[in-house]
Amino acid sequence: MIADPEIEIHPHKIIERNKRRENKFNFIKAVLLNIFFVFYSIIVLQRAIYYKFILDLRDLPFSWNEIGIIFLISIVIGILWASTRTSLSSKLFGISRDNSVTKWTVEIFGWFLFNITFIAGWIETKISLVDLFSSEGIQGAQRIFGALFQPELGIFDDALFAIIETIYIALLATLISIPPTLLLSFFTARNLMKDNKISFAVYYVLRIVLNFIRSIEPLIWAIIFSVWVGIGPYAGMIALLVHTIASNAKLYSEAIENIEEGPVEVIAATGANKIQIVWYAVVPQIVLPFLSFTI
Amino acid sequence: MLRCINRLIEPTSGSIKFLGKDITHLKGEELRKIKMQIGMVFQQFNLIKRRSVLTNVITGKLGSISTFDSILEKFDNEIIDEAYKNLETVGIRDKAKERADSLSGGQQQRVAIARSLMQNPKLLLADEPVASLDPATSNSVMQYFEKINKEFGTTVICNLHFLSLVRRYATQVIALKAGEIIYHGFPNEIDETWFKAIYGEEAEEVEIR
Repeated sequence: MIADPEIEIHPHKIIERNKRRENKFNFIKAVLLNIFFVFYSIIVLQRAIYYKFILDLRDLPFSWNEIGIIFLISIVIGILWASTRTSLSSKLFGISRDNSVTKWTVEIFGWFLFNITFIAGWIETKISLVDLFSSEGIQGAQRIFGALFQPELGIFDDALFAIIETIYIALLATLISIPPTLLLSFFTARNLMKDNKISFAVYYVLRIVLNFIRSIEPLIWAIIFSVWVGIGPYAGMIALLVHTIASNAKLYSEAIENIEEGPVEVIAATGANKIQIVWYAVVPQIVLPFLSFTI
Repeated sequence: MLRCINRLIEPTSGSIKFLGKDITHLKGEELRKIKMQIGMVFQQFNLIKRRSVLTNVITGKLGSISTFDSILEKFDNEIIDEAYKNLETVGIRDKAKERADSLSGGQQQRVAIARSLMQNPKLLLADEPVASLDPATSNSVMQYFEKINKEFGTTVICNLHFLSLVRRYATQVIALKAGEIIYHGFPNEIDETWFKAIYGEEAEEVEIR
């Protein structure tokens, strides 16, 4: 035997310390979620179910004071409830006590949340079977469907050119979107950007911006760009372009996140720089998925 | 632990010394210089599957090729010659033009060894290099490690699960359990009781030769 070197900190202690830290963090998250749950249920109960359904008011009374009071109440209830460790949110974050009280509260409160959400949704969307089957409405719908199957052939040539225009718009939007999408996708792939804080910040900001762009429909973009560059195919092309870039960058970056980490590790271990790592370890693995996404 | 040595994983405590230099907190360019001197072979070979064997071997040299040249895949003749020479060292020169994923497991691992040789490493880390290979191939792969150690004077740190391979090839053994060194000595000193201490009571030795 050769003498053992001394080990400074026992690994079990590190694991235990990390676990305690994680538990504390989870507790804070559970409290916040619980406050939200309580706030949400009070608001829904009061505004959607009580005011709208039971009192049947058209114009809902609204005051910030009232909302503020509800919020304060829900903060107090939320904190107290979460600290008993029997609430739904502490169950969700895995820090709840394992007893029958937890089981019942989770079950009852879970069903309660689901039901009030469904009922409030029913009230808010004004679901009505009477409107769906009214004779007037059905006649109007019949007229529109009928017209779909009897096209007016007089404007056929105009329509033909419009079709061709549309195809060109789509083609150009796709082609122009490829280079910026490729570039963006590397900056929005978590596994390439997580190594240092600055690149991770870039990753986060880009992700948020792309999510924002993606959540706006191409039709809305078309309206914005019609104002910007004037109504016409050009505005439509830019609108499609913006949307294609945002949605394809998401697909591409997910393909990058799905690659095997092994080759990346190897190339990094040879002392290659970041660009070489991407070129040799990432690019060969993503060429095929990229092609299939774009086509 | 092997991944800590070349800083693929950051150590939670302690320090790493390489050639008398503390490399625990090196960053950027300096770290890349150190990484260039440490070769690594993995359990899963980790070759670039869609590229030729030759390109795979050359990737070992990326640290000293300029970024621009490496993207255009423009390599000096010297580097290509060196790659062929290293492929010959591991005995698969004739496979150089084939795609890396068309090779068998043992051959792929030999490509990985040739790749790490491109770095002219002072230290070669082998992370369970034979764990996904059959016994016969394991033995031949281990022989190449021995050859590298004897001919080039490279230190090889290799983690293995087969005691028979350890007895046959190792010159010094360190056993780890739950992050602690529990044995540090020579391979012929490991006996039944040590083996049980390392792997637990139910473990039994499996012979491969």
